[in-house]
Amino acid sequence: MIKLAFYGKGGIGKSTAASNVSAALAQKGLKVMQIGCDPKADSTIFLHGGERIPTVLDLVRKGESFDLEDMVRVGYNGVVCVEAGGPVPGLGCAGRGIIAALEELEKKGAYEKYQPDVVIYDVLGDVVCGGFSMPMRKGYADKVFIITSGESMSVYAAANIAMAVENFKSRGYASLGGFILNKRNVKNEEEKAAELAADFHSSVIAEIDRSELVSEAEDIRKTVMEAFPDSTAAEQYRALADKIAELCGMGEEK
Amino acid sequence: MNAKVISIYAADTSGVCSALYELGGMTVVHDASGCNSTYATHDEPRWYDRKSMIYISALTEADAVMGNDSKFIRDVAKAAGELSPKFIAICGSPMPAMTGFDYSAAAEEIERETGLTTFFVDTNGTHSYLQGAEGAFLNIAKLFCREGKEKQANSVNIIGATPLDFSVNTSVSSIKKWLLDNGFSVQSCFAMDSSLDEISTAPQAAVSLVISSDGIAVAKYLFDTYGVPYVVGVPVGKSFSKKLSADLKRAVSEGVCINSCGEKAVENAHMIVAGESVFASSLGAELGAKTVATVGIRNSEVLSGTDIFCEEEAELEKLFSQHKTVIADPLFRPICKVASFVSLPHVAFSGRCFLKDIPDLIDKDVSKKLNL
Repeated sequence: MIKLAFYGKGGIGKSTAASNVSAALAQKGLKVMQIGCDPKADSTIFLHGGERIPTVLDLVRKGESFDLEDMVRVGYNGVVCVEAGGPVPGLGCAGRGIIAALEELEKKGAYEKYQPDVVIYDVLGDVVCGGFSMPMRKGYADKVFIITSGESMSVYAAANIAMAVENFKSRGYASLGGFILNKRNVKNEEEKAAELAADFHSSVIAEIDRSELVSEAEDIRKTVMEAFPDSTAAEQYRALADKIAELCGMGEEK
Repeated sequence: MNAKVISIYAADTSGVCSALYELGGMTVVHDASGCNSTYATHDEPRWYDRKSMIYISALTEADAVMGNDSKFIRDVAKAAGELSPKFIAICGSPMPAMTGFDYSAAAEEIERETGLTTFFVDTNGTHSYLQGAEGAFLNIAKLFCREGKEKQANSVNIIGATPLDFSVNTSVSSIKKWLLDNGFSVQSCFAMDSSLDEISTAPQAAVSLVISSDGIAVAKYLFDTYGVPYVVGVPVGKSFSKKLSADLKRAVSEGVCINSCGEKAVENAHMIVAGESVFASSLGAELGAKTVATVGIRNSEVLSGTDIFCEEEAELEKLFSQHKTVIADPLFRPICKVASFVSLPHVAFSGRCFLKDIPDLIDKDVSKKLNL
């Protein structure tokens, strides 16, 4: 089993990339589990037809006993979808919520039951507190992939995340797998991303062009991989999935 | 436990401190300064008579907010350098739980820095003492128990001894004496009046005797890893202790695990025994009383089909009112309005309040001891 996490500035396209990578890996016949670590609980939404699913914390909050099946939806091509969820907006602690949800998932034996080949943690925003570093801790993701555009705020957030990964090296946390450039067509975008990656002795492992097909696919509640499998955009996500698989040593594992 | 009137049980952190108290390690609770009296005095009757290295990290709001983990690691390593403990155990409280403090990573860093065996027990101050003690015992077993050359015939591991359940009266030494009187020897005791060296030889025992819910996990580990079977029950009273002795002998000869206190069927009893699962179930078996476990294991590993697990105050009050006699810690008395109440103090519930009134019921005439 390989485990990886997507991090990056809010709204940069992490969930879109994660869902399309999940779909691409599932098309190859791999068993994929995608865990959305965001109180908005919309990471996996286009992998199961746009239906809102009960989050782990929704079920915990109810205080009644529940089974693993209650917090899991099996979506496109068998992708196992989970949403951690979060506290009531404006209250509680979202970071602690991520910890509680991931612990609950482990306690219910999710990894043993579904035996995924790949687990993808889709983590919101920046590593703002201990809770949001949970998916990169020992026992969770082995590699962190950071999504950025060439926009300054996105590069800044990506650098912060990369620094956190660097700081946690001595703790045996996840290592940096690389940067993914999700293009917004700003000036010198490739150069900025390459410079950022070089600062952390890493590389830009894939470039995803801005595509209208992403929103067109979302309009019909699907990923690009499902809605437009022969498009250039799908090809780029497929290439990204292949690169991630290679960097995580997936071929060696299989 | 959901309570408005009655007390609640000691928390997981107290369980860790109590379980490790006598083993020569250094136990550090990651918590704000001022809270150590909870673990070290209210819940710990040995504190004034016996030294132990139990510390609080004195976590400040600034350190918690800023994620100043390195201060905790540095302080623990420095103190360990001066004290040379046999191991370092770290555990936590609500504040670091909220900030997502990574105990596993901190333990690894401390071990790397000090060269001392370091482990963490997953606590946050909101679970029962049994959960903390169980985690502490299990870490000790996994890290220090080693298979010896040969099994010791008729030797017994006593698992689950802490003052939170057995006070500091003669109960634990009475269990040891009872074992000797019945042809057994004591291999180890998790963890009162027994050294870490003795405990490390636990895999050589012929059988384990689980005397509290916090001992089940270690007993299972010793069975799964080293083939040491276990028997569950406290040798209270004359009749049940006789059964327990026979079960220990059968476990040794047949290599089977036996839930002695759960092998009973008590219907229509007029008496209730309430308390920790193993102790209450054992006393219930001795007296033919209904067991109402209020903390601990809630399934058939300890309880019988006629036993009940209940941690809701309102339901307990209702149950108590349906019986003639209730045997429980004195802090349950306020919700026992109809039945006649027999006081049996339990440190994990009422702390040091009734310490001098806690009787030793091991292999004794229980009815006489409790004036039933």
